[in-house]
Amino acid sequence: MKLSLKWLGDFIDIKDLSVEDIIKKATDAGFEIEGVEYLGEGTDLVVGKVIECHPHPDSDHLKVTKVDIKDEILDIVCGAPNCREGLKVIVAKVGAKLPGGTINASVIRGEASNGMLCSLLELGVKKELLPENSPSLDGIEELGDEFAIGEEDVLEKLGYKDVILDVSIYANRPDCLSMFAMAKEFAAILDRPCHLPDFKGASDIGETTDFKLASLSENCPHFLAKIVNKVVIKPSPKWLREHLIANGIKSINNVIDISNYVMLETGQPMHFYDLRTNPYHEITVVDDYEGEYEALDGITYQIEKGDVMITSNHEPIGIGGIMGGENTKILDDTQGIIIECALFDHARIRRSANRLGLQTEAAMRYAKGLDPLAQHKAMDRACQLLKELADADGFEKTVECGKVNYEPYQVSETAEHLSALIGKKFTTQDLFDVLRRLDFKPEIKGDEVIATIPSYRSSDIKIREDIDEEVVRLTGYDDLSSTLPIMPSTIGKLNDTQTRRRVIRDYLSNAGLNETCTYTLVNKDYIEMPFKVGEAIALALPLSEERKYIRNSLMNSLMETLAYNEAHYNTNVNLFEISSLYAKDNVHKEHLAILLSGNLSESKVLKNEVKNSFYVIKGLVMTLLSKLGYEKGRLTVEENTLDTTHFHPYQSCVIMMNKRPLAILGKVHPRYAQKYKVSDCSYCEMDLSLLEGTKGAKIKAVELNRFPSVSRDISLVIKDDIKAEDLLRQIKKSGNQLVKEAKVFDIYHGANIKEGYKSITINIVYESKDHTLKIEDIMPIHDKILNDLSEKYGANLRN
Amino acid sequence: MEDITNLKNEALAKIDHCQDLNELEECRVLYLSKKGKIQGLMAIMKDLPKEEKPGFGQKVNELKKEVTDRLEKRKAELEDELLNAKLENEKIDITLDAYTPSLGTLHPLTLVTQAIEDCFVGLGYMVAEGPEVELDYYNFERANTPKGHPARDMQDSFYIDPTTLLRTHTTAIQMRVLEEAHGQMPIKLICPGKVYRRDNDDATHSHQFMQSEGLVVGENITLADLKGTLEFMIASLFGEGQKIRFRPSYFPFTEPSVEVDMSCHNCHGKGCPVCKGTGWIEILGSGMVHPNVLEMAGIDSKKYSGFAFGVGLERIAMLKYGIKDIRDLYANDKRFLEGFKRFD
Repeated sequence: MKLSLKWLGDFIDIKDLSVEDIIKKATDAGFEIEGVEYLGEGTDLVVGKVIECHPHPDSDHLKVTKVDIKDEILDIVCGAPNCREGLKVIVAKVGAKLPGGTINASVIRGEASNGMLCSLLELGVKKELLPENSPSLDGIEELGDEFAIGEEDVLEKLGYKDVILDVSIYANRPDCLSMFAMAKEFAAILDRPCHLPDFKGASDIGETTDFKLASLSENCPHFLAKIVNKVVIKPSPKWLREHLIANGIKSINNVIDISNYVMLETGQPMHFYDLRTNPYHEITVVDDYEGEYEALDGITYQIEKGDVMITSNHEPIGIGGIMGGENTKILDDTQGIIIECALFDHARIRRSANRLGLQTEAAMRYAKGLDPLAQHKAMDRACQLLKELADADGFEKTVECGKVNYEPYQVSETAEHLSALIGKKFTTQDLFDVLRRLDFKPEIKGDEVIATIPSYRSSDIKIREDIDEEVVRLTGYDDLSSTLPIMPSTIGKLNDTQTRRRVIRDYLSNAGLNETCTYTLVNKDYIEMPFKVGEAIALALPLSEERKYIRNSLMNSLMETLAYNEAHYNTNVNLFEISSLYAKDNVHKEHLAILLSGNLSESKVLKNEVKNSFYVIKGLVMTLLSKLGYEKGRLTVEENTLDTTHFHPYQSCVIMMNKRPLAILGKVHPRYAQKYKVSDCSYCEMDLSLLEGTKGAKIKAVELNRFPSVSRDISLVIKDDIKAEDLLRQIKKSGNQLVKEAKVFDIYHGANIKEGYKSITINIVYESKDHTLKIEDIMPIHDKILNDLSEKYGANLRN
Repeated sequence: MEDITNLKNEALAKIDHCQDLNELEECRVLYLSKKGKIQGLMAIMKDLPKEEKPGFGQKVNELKKEVTDRLEKRKAELEDELLNAKLENEKIDITLDAYTPSLGTLHPLTLVTQAIEDCFVGLGYMVAEGPEVELDYYNFERANTPKGHPARDMQDSFYIDPTTLLRTHTTAIQMRVLEEAHGQMPIKLICPGKVYRRDNDDATHSHQFMQSEGLVVGENITLADLKGTLEFMIASLFGEGQKIRFRPSYFPFTEPSVEVDMSCHNCHGKGCPVCKGTGWIEILGSGMVHPNVLEMAGIDSKKYSGFAFGVGLERIAMLKYGIKDIRDLYANDKRFLEGFKRFD
């Protein structure tokens, strides 16, 4: 919202305050000032008269002048084509500070120049605020007879001396989009009297009318219309033009200017139609119009069902709440008008304005909400001004359609409650005082202070806490103390899921992986992974196709991150991420993704490396699971039949827990890796939600065995497709409690081993908890193991 | 006797001259073996008069011991020389970094989340979570943002259908916890999580970002309590000595609402490019829980009050680590991520 300090000065005496003072007070009261604009700027300006003007001897466009500024005659070189003898001009004296810099005494091509003759543009006035025929547009400003030589307040006299604050307004203060309410607000902030014009009841004129008004749209609940049979179109007076200029609105003629001015004053957008274009004296508001319509700006818009349209005799005459129509606008020869003063639904107007790309002052105000009494106030004010400034006459009776539900009401508060909520001592007088500043007409009754809420604050002030906010806002937060809540103790602690997440993050980052955070929203190529958590959810209105779906697996996100990194020459990229995933039918799960590429660790000098592979990622994951308390016994490793298009079909597996897949892992399928143009990599995706509600094993200290263990190695020849895991399980089973551990330590193919077979070397450790094992204790068991392996798996001792 | 002295001198000189262990072994054989020269003296002994025998024997034994000792000493010397030569041979370039275990990293947003969690867990808060795919009801309605409110516009949020959307703030989690509390007081929680808004990504905007909100509801909770709590949080995130100030603001779910500025951690309030010369940095929004919010959750707003705050974790990370572009947090460039390997 643009706030002209000059205009504010019409209502409140602020002459003694600097711009900085005003900004500070506004900021403290909750109005952030986002910009300060000086309408016209310049020091050391004075009215002068060109008394001599000759062509510069050394230039084809410069002129050498003598300018009378009353106290002295200045030599000034000027380049403006309209510079001529006898002209009254704005002179910037030597030392003057203009938006473009400081004026110095100089010599221009041999001629002395002690000052500058100015265009308003050079004084910072924006081009669009100048009248179309302004001399400043292609020369220097030409002043009229009302300006006296030597006069200094030239910008003020021209109406260009003003400071415009760009005030940021929170959503709860749409009232501040009205100058009257803003003046009230500043009166409260500054605690000074505020004098607003009186116009109540000014529209109660006109006895009869044949005007018919109807609204067929629930998005137009209230509409006031009034025929004014006679207006005289002419230029607006200077003060009116100035106020519009300060708000960035161009002056057109008195009637159009009044509609804009009343909107600025009351916050109520209004529109005037040329009476000649409405021979049926009828307006109907509809929201089922479809088709093209040319608005006031000369642009044709595509109107859709739902947009509110003002029609007469079934023909559109304006886009409701946004912009009037080209076909009904006020012209220079307009003699009579219809005044429109209506309320439209804010959400509806916002939607239409966004779609049409028409963010007008009117649309913006409707979108934020109006004072419920604004329509009547604006109608009164418009009638008053039309009479004063446009010789209006022939008023017909105001026609009203619908109504606004608004009853005046009161809110009360006590100093005790206020103090308890804020944590600072306030007296009844403090409370009363703020309400008085706000003009809430406070009354004290016992402990209570009762406030009557003005209509323009009714959307914001409803309960006592709203009053409390007004009090702290206007008295300041500076002396608020700092305390901690006093209440019964509570135990702060992370729950199991949160703790588990931390363990995973610490483990993987300590293992050398970098944690990532990738976007949830993905494109359609991301959502068809075989291990997705469900069918992907699509957004109703995505920003783009790239961000249309909520991801239901993580693999593509990490592959894309790897591709990005490889494209930026980062090597050995090892990543992990924990993220929630969502799918249709209220599916919500949490997954862990791990992606290894290149080496997990390496030393070129030492010539060793841990390269990503099935075994490396499996080891990383199994150790993680054991760290989380899920040991091998609770997990089974199965062949991957879930997804062999993204994983290497023979170097991948599924880890099962309680017969449900907990994780899928392995080498990434080369064809899929190729899609992202990345080098070979290994990936794991784990369903952390499956761990919810299960408990990891509790720590139980190991009782040290005092009896020595015995170690035996066996080398077996077996068929290639026999799994090590099966052999190890058989050994433990046959071992009858004596086998403490069995581990594979070599796999061998080649010389002396038949095609389709492999040699596997297993280390078996025997141990007893109650005695030292003798050879006679072990031999029968060892023989049984060999026997069982031979019978069940065809495993024979190698030579 | 003279023989013994001569032999001794000869043997000791020879031992001392040995240059390697082989020579020394030859020496040992020459003097100390069964057929060695010292044993040879024993042959002389049997020809000696009986009374001289013990004296001679003793001398020979002394000689034997002396030669053995000298041999051992020389052996130790030679072994030392040998080892030293070997070690010298193993000399390497100690300036080389041949082994650098990879240091993984937590994502900066995780670091900030954990810092906030740790700060509040220490104050007895619980850490609450909730779904990112959220009902309009919890995201807006229960947060005192009824239908038609500007914040609910299709243009500003990622709706899935008219009743479901990607949550726009972690306030939605608070609303669920308030409801689940069934009036059980007090409530002290923080709720970090991802949130989404319909913004185009640029250096300071992201359609996805993280927030952590905090909520305390109980008897006699005041705005001054909010101030003290936020000072505690900011001290734990940015170090002691940061001042904070409140400015009036507006959120539908708090009343009064305040915007919170922290004195600039970079220049300590003097004014610098980080705080755009103001000495203050806008850090979060907060306020006293709106009575409507409490009542909708079945909590008696006459008896209980509360405060709530919401802090943008990207903003904290960007301020704390000097990150200039919010998109860097989501690009996951290894060079960027590796910057967070240090304890901070």
